[in-house]
Amino acid sequence: MPNQADIALMAHLMRRAGFGASRAELEERCARGYEATVEELLNPGADSGIDEDELYRYFPQFESSLAPVAAQTEWVYRMVNTRWPLKEKIALFWHQLFATGNSKVDNPPEMLAQVAMFRKEGLTNFPNLLVRLAQNPAMIYWLDNNGNHYGSINENWGRELLELFSMGVGHYSEDDIKEASRAFTGWTIGAKPPRQPVGRFYWSFEFRPEDHDYGEKEFLGNTGNFDGDDIIDIIVKQEDTARFLARHLYNFFVADEPQVPAWNITPPNDEAAIDLLVKAYMDSGADIKAILRALFNSDFFKEAQFQHVKSPAELVVSTARLAGNYYQPRTGFPLLAFECAWQGQELMNPPSVESWHTGSEWIDGGALVRRVNFAAKLLSDTLLPGVKAIVAGLKERGTLSPADFVRSCLELVGPVEVDDGTFQELLTQAQQDGDISWDSEESAAESEKRAGVMLAMIAATREFQFA
Amino acid sequence: MLTTIAAGRVFDYSHCIGMYSTSGIGFLVPMDFALGSNETLYVLNRGVDEITLRISKCTLKHEFIADIGRFGMGDGQFVWPMGIALDSDENIYVTDENTNKVTVMDKDGQFLAKWGDAGSAEGQMRGPSGIAVDGANDLYIVDSQNNRVQKFSKDGQRLATWGSEGSGPGQFNKPWGLCLDAEGNVYVADWKNDRVQKFSGDGHFLAEFGVTSDGVGGLSRPTDVAVDSDGDVYVADWGNHQVQIYEPDGKFIATLVGDAQTPSPWVQDYIDANPDVAKARRRTNMEVEWRFNRPIAVNLDADDRLYVAESVRHRIQVYSKERDYAEAAINL
Repeated sequence: MPNQADIALMAHLMRRAGFGASRAELEERCARGYEATVEELLNPGADSGIDEDELYRYFPQFESSLAPVAAQTEWVYRMVNTRWPLKEKIALFWHQLFATGNSKVDNPPEMLAQVAMFRKEGLTNFPNLLVRLAQNPAMIYWLDNNGNHYGSINENWGRELLELFSMGVGHYSEDDIKEASRAFTGWTIGAKPPRQPVGRFYWSFEFRPEDHDYGEKEFLGNTGNFDGDDIIDIIVKQEDTARFLARHLYNFFVADEPQVPAWNITPPNDEAAIDLLVKAYMDSGADIKAILRALFNSDFFKEAQFQHVKSPAELVVSTARLAGNYYQPRTGFPLLAFECAWQGQELMNPPSVESWHTGSEWIDGGALVRRVNFAAKLLSDTLLPGVKAIVAGLKERGTLSPADFVRSCLELVGPVEVDDGTFQELLTQAQQDGDISWDSEESAAESEKRAGVMLAMIAATREFQFA
Repeated sequence: MLTTIAAGRVFDYSHCIGMYSTSGIGFLVPMDFALGSNETLYVLNRGVDEITLRISKCTLKHEFIADIGRFGMGDGQFVWPMGIALDSDENIYVTDENTNKVTVMDKDGQFLAKWGDAGSAEGQMRGPSGIAVDGANDLYIVDSQNNRVQKFSKDGQRLATWGSEGSGPGQFNKPWGLCLDAEGNVYVADWKNDRVQKFSGDGHFLAEFGVTSDGVGGLSRPTDVAVDSDGDVYVADWGNHQVQIYEPDGKFIATLVGDAQTPSPWVQDYIDANPDVAKARRRTNMEVEWRFNRPIAVNLDADDRLYVAESVRHRIQVYSKERDYAEAAINL
């Protein structure tokens, strides 16, 4: 039996590198070891956990849907049911970094295709990912590169590539933006049949040589007849790029940083951690797995438990996984997608290319009420399989004093660490009805009911909002 | 190609019916359909996001008649409707893979009855999907999650049950659609076994055909099957986005890939009313629109015209069959 610290560390890893894990899974992973689990997350087995045929049999409306919520629901279904938690999590990371919105793209299947690209390529290397991003039809349309022509450049893609997607403000000039834009002329979208009246059709990347500027360019101190691949090649070799990506990875996987627009005037919370990630980036040639391996195995990661506010997607998906009633096809998945939006994160529709503000900015009065109500409702339902498993875990511990009851619930639902004040609040509730016992059918039923109430209260704590 | 020539047969694309719509004329994620009297068509639409689910009643001449039913657990409502069939009075029978019920309505959509219990005991169902009615108004229903076929009277009394989980003769892996031929034999689209199985009306295994393949005559997740008056078998090859055609003994004849080069009148009206759409259609290769995308249900009318519903394209493509076709003039 693993000790509590090992369980807590494994739970931390699974919350950050995935969407949480049940107590049984945590114990099984502890038996295999922390570093072995990191490797398995980076290199998962062949079974994704998603039967693609069954997905579209039971949810035929997901395919080529005109409705944004259908695309959002398909992604939520994948996040809840995946056996590739890090692949799904890295897709969410890239979606938040390379923020693309259906509000403009207006093509839900194309948005899903972009997410599928993040899932497939997200753990490869940064240059590969940037090239695929530059050729991604949803991104091309989102940042107007279809309007970036030889002799008449549109700087939108070139600017955001440098400012938001790779280097960050302050590390390039306005001329660099113009020269990069020239290099991406002719990178556009092929014509496709219009949507309606027989459904959606996919775009495709198209390079139009007659619209490409083959002339000489000066970019970040380099001179040559650069095209888009060359520009990306130069970008990814910059240490500023490594530092910018490292900070994004730290903010998403380790601990909340200030909002991105403040990064050029506010140093990172942990310079040494960023340095370590930058070194992993430079040593590996921007290999994402190598950087994440260094991150997950670092002390700064292991010591950062509960220092990251769950995004709405993280909160909704992890709670649904914990409750255990959203496994495999069933009705109700659209409500999970809606819930993300109601809590402030409409998937595939960020507020702008600057993406969502994260950390404590996920939470305001309205969002907090929704977050608490959503989690409390699921975790108080003792008929749900995941909650049943928690109750069974309590039962194994036999008669429990109120304090042990609270501690056990906190352990089995996370573990969740709470401060003394929160613990006392929970204890006050638990003390109202004395010890928990399972001696008779009546007392077991009462204890189960009390467990549901306690889990709902834990879901309402400040600490539950953190991963 | 609009014309597919095979051994002694020609399958000619005729026209298509339908368009994307959330109500009224058009369909939205059709799962199955049934052909009624007087050229009436009943299309079972799954819809999107628990809205727009309905049965579209229209005619083969593109006249909209009514929307029937909606999402829900109440009478005349559906959650995951999968199959639709008509009895000799044109009462409508709809299976629901989520509620494990069969709903019966009259041809105008008035609710008549609902029956079916969830479970694995004989007479119970888990995931009812394909449904067909025989000449005696008895129902054959694919009991998909239980990997079997059950025969019921029209008021839900169990008459027969056969099949079990597996890949051997008479076994199934999440079967989906089924049909009857003129002799009362039963053909089942054995979805996850990538084959069609043929049984006598009382459930004796007779034959199987199709192999897992995206090559000639192969199948990938077949969803439905239909048999014409010559005994030719048409299979909705959902995973390959094709229709495969076999002789009565299972010998492969031909593949249809979808040929909707002429839009349905509803689609044409939409194009005519939206000049930007018309322009967009002129500046690209439209072939991708012609081809089947998730052919999900197949049926034949009394003249052996083939109807193919596509869930992703929200339409039905229609083919006619010519027999005794002379050698094509290939030197034109």
